[in-house]
Amino acid sequence: MNRRLTDGQFAWLLMVPGLALFLAIIAYPLVSALVTGFFEQSLVRPGRAFVGLANYADLLGGDFWPVLRNTLVFTLGATIAPFVIGYALALALNAGLPGWLRGVFLFPWVIPGVVVSFLWLWIFNANYGVLNGLLGTHVSWLGDPTTAMIAVIVTKTWASFPWMMVMLLAGLQTMPKELHEAASVDGAGAIRRFRSVTVPHMRAIAGIAFLLEFIWNFQHFDTIYVLTGGGPAGATKTFAVAVYDTAFKGFDLGHATALGGLWMLLLLVLMAFYLRKENA
Amino acid sequence: METLNRRAAFRLAGLSALGAALAACAPDAAGGGAPKGDAAARTFGFTSWSLNEEAQKAAVQAIVDAYAAKGGVKIDTASFPYNEYLNQVTLKLRGGQLSGAVQLDISWLAALAAMGRLKDLGAQAAKGGYTDVALSSGRFQGRQLGLPWTTGSIGLVANTEILKKAGVEGMPATVEEFEDALRKVAKLGGGITPYAAATKAAQLKDILPWMRTFGSPLLEGDTITVGDDASVAAVEWYKKLYDAKLIAPDVDRFDARALFAQGKAAFYDDAIITRGVVAAQSPDKSLTGKMAPLARPVLKAGDTPQALLWGHVIVVVEGEGSDAAADFASYATSDTATVAAFFEKVKLPPTTTAGLADPKVAGDTFTTEWTEKITKTATPNPFWRYAGYAQIETAIAEQVQAVLVGQSSAKDALAKAAETAKPLQK
Amino acid sequence: MTATLSRSVPIARAPRRRRPRSRAAAWAAVAVIGFFGLAPIYWLVVTAFTPDERAFTFPPSLVPTEITFDHFARLAQNEQLFGYLVNSVVVSVVTAFLSVLVSAYMAYAFSKFRYRGRKSLMHLVLASQLFPQALLLVTLYAVFSASGLLGSYGALILSFTTFTLPLCVWMLKGIFDTVPSTLMEAAAIDGASRWRTLHQIALPLAAPGLVAAGLFAFVRAWNDFIFALTLTDPDRQTLPPGLVHTYLGEFQTAWPDLMAASFVVSLPVIAAFMFLQRYLVGGLTAGAVKG
Repeated sequence: MNRRLTDGQFAWLLMVPGLALFLAIIAYPLVSALVTGFFEQSLVRPGRAFVGLANYADLLGGDFWPVLRNTLVFTLGATIAPFVIGYALALALNAGLPGWLRGVFLFPWVIPGVVVSFLWLWIFNANYGVLNGLLGTHVSWLGDPTTAMIAVIVTKTWASFPWMMVMLLAGLQTMPKELHEAASVDGAGAIRRFRSVTVPHMRAIAGIAFLLEFIWNFQHFDTIYVLTGGGPAGATKTFAVAVYDTAFKGFDLGHATALGGLWMLLLLVLMAFYLRKENA
Repeated sequence: METLNRRAAFRLAGLSALGAALAACAPDAAGGGAPKGDAAARTFGFTSWSLNEEAQKAAVQAIVDAYAAKGGVKIDTASFPYNEYLNQVTLKLRGGQLSGAVQLDISWLAALAAMGRLKDLGAQAAKGGYTDVALSSGRFQGRQLGLPWTTGSIGLVANTEILKKAGVEGMPATVEEFEDALRKVAKLGGGITPYAAATKAAQLKDILPWMRTFGSPLLEGDTITVGDDASVAAVEWYKKLYDAKLIAPDVDRFDARALFAQGKAAFYDDAIITRGVVAAQSPDKSLTGKMAPLARPVLKAGDTPQALLWGHVIVVVEGEGSDAAADFASYATSDTATVAAFFEKVKLPPTTTAGLADPKVAGDTFTTEWTEKITKTATPNPFWRYAGYAQIETAIAEQVQAVLVGQSSAKDALAKAAETAKPLQK
Repeated sequence: MTATLSRSVPIARAPRRRRPRSRAAAWAAVAVIGFFGLAPIYWLVVTAFTPDERAFTFPPSLVPTEITFDHFARLAQNEQLFGYLVNSVVVSVVTAFLSVLVSAYMAYAFSKFRYRGRKSLMHLVLASQLFPQALLLVTLYAVFSASGLLGSYGALILSFTTFTLPLCVWMLKGIFDTVPSTLMEAAAIDGASRWRTLHQIALPLAAPGLVAAGLFAFVRAWNDFIFALTLTDPDRQTLPPGLVHTYLGEFQTAWPDLMAASFVVSLPVIAAFMFLQRYLVGGLTAGAVKG
């Protein structure tokens, strides 16, 4: 019976459940939200009025640039740090250490995200937190603009390095060990072997792991909201926090969705850049 | 690899256009319309965050059960965490999924009222015997939309033992005396924060009563006066305390309570309820005996002390079961036996004259002292009249933080705060 | 090609001969990162055993001097919490299975067939992650409300499944790419239908990848807070909103109780992960390499 379908038709058939979900759960709400960006609309008042690009203009004239800067700092920090730690850990675990160690490192990953944020809030507390107790200091980690950004990045790093480790370890395990042995015979040292054998082999997986983590961090909300609420003095206010505040504190759906539109545009440019490079 | 060819591009563009058209035509979920359902129904909902808070849930459930048995009705309860409560209730009301009675913090009334689906409870309010200040907390644009469940205030609490040790005589009555007391406490050392004032963004709105103390009305008509000389002076004073380490960084209400419970803070701001919470966190079992409420110091003797009105109200959504729900709201908030029993269990002060006079309430000196010294002159936050008040407070808090961490002068920061807050006044 | 696939499956029990020096360096790295990774967990456990009135002392004692089991005892009495756990397990497990099924079909179509719009659809799938999810929430609420699914497990399961599709699809596509087409052609010659080829040849070969995708989807559903709070009735809520609801109230934050509860509910998951981690690694391998 299946023979009557062409290959293309069969492929589309396979995609029906996935596409249906996308249309209902992402595409429709997404388009509807983007449309809202051109209206003045409140979450708590009925009705709306078309305002064209006014919401976008307001945003670009307001706090957009500092928020963009914070978002980029957070996103890069919280992507690079777990990437480096995860990579180091993956290399170490791949060097013949017992397999159960991997399981141990997964612990931070399964603690519910909100709890992770509260755990670190508890650790960083200026007045009775264990970090100050350990160092014998009285630093207000979350109350100073510089350390607050570092603190949220550390927290997010803690929550996501296990996942990075898993992705990268996976890549390392497919690396044909003959390559390493051959290089070794040729007299290459550990660092040379890493650069000339491991890195090229890992390029694809490392790229996709980095890209996904980057996108997710751009979205990331809970950690920042719980730890600093975007403060102090807006030093950790990212797009996600700004959107949330606008939509759910100010009840201003028009501006919130316009901000979402700008954000999506930015990421699309980044992604197009990545994919072009990837296909080249 | 096939590239995105023209036909595929057209197909995608068509698909997006179709989606946009659908989205644009979609019925607006906030579209209002006539209330649905039978107002006389004998089943209604009751939404309350207290129903799931360890300290209160049994007491609230008891009221629900007692009313259900008495009135022969069925009450469907629901609950959301306090911090997410307003979002959830807003989304549910917008989507037509909320009915019956709903507990609200008094600061949230404007947001819910904006949707125009709350029932006017004027009739219930008239016969309830509520105090004037309590009734005012449930009024929005002249209509009585909420019945006051508990009315209190956020005020200053002192640890009398620390004050005695530091040699502070009597309670400070003016800002000058207060600062003096803080400096004396600071000399004690031992890691004591003299005044555990809020310095975290989420709670920095606690500075608003101080701005009023210094003489800023905050809002005049519809003009935000944050940025006037008085409010600038208040923030400069706050900054002075901050730099002198008389107040500590990174403190919110929870931290302040924890510090106070540990005997590591001489003063802090809180609502009356938390005596029990502080006691539970404290290794010092006699701490409650050392806690004393005091009127917020004033700028010069004779001024009215400032305090922030605080409390819960119950509102009723028009539609299904709203008659019974309104009667339930009235019973829960004004039946003297019920409110007195509720007070006994959870220490939330009642809102009716009869309730306050009940021996169970009147016999509690901490509460009567608090009512007399603090609640008597408490006023609501003027920004509460705007649905988006929370974002206005955030805008001000962010700028005050900028001053505290030394990024900006008080004058510039507050001018910027007022400018940011202006478009949010709706 | 077959070699690529089989190499990807086994785990690094790796009895390779290594110089002791690099082994020592590896242990050192594990120790340093281990401290970073596990010290907070240690503190979580210590806090869970600390009596309420000791929890806020400063400086805190790094080794508990006074231990209480109160928080765990209270936990055992809290039936509601058990309900949240059951909800979490149901939602996460069903999401994992559904996500694997749907994304495997989609990935197979992307990997093994060539048709118009394929490439742009693949990019669209990835791009769907770019919009702030908090904003999707407002419309999604209306969508589920209109469809009558609001408040049910279904609303959560369908949402989480959709949110995990991009990663799962891209990962599984990578895996199917490594399954040699010759195997499938052979099956076709033997008269197997395309359905049978997919189910009896391709899926079993991709099994480790399916497990990996499932674990990823499981964790996504397990961790979510805001959707889990908004789209369900209070009695269907999962652990994250449930924990917040129970321990972070209007007036107080019950840190020790929160920590005790978080620790206990994480244990079964970590046990399952300990068991499944070999597949997790093997599975991602094959997929992500081709990315």
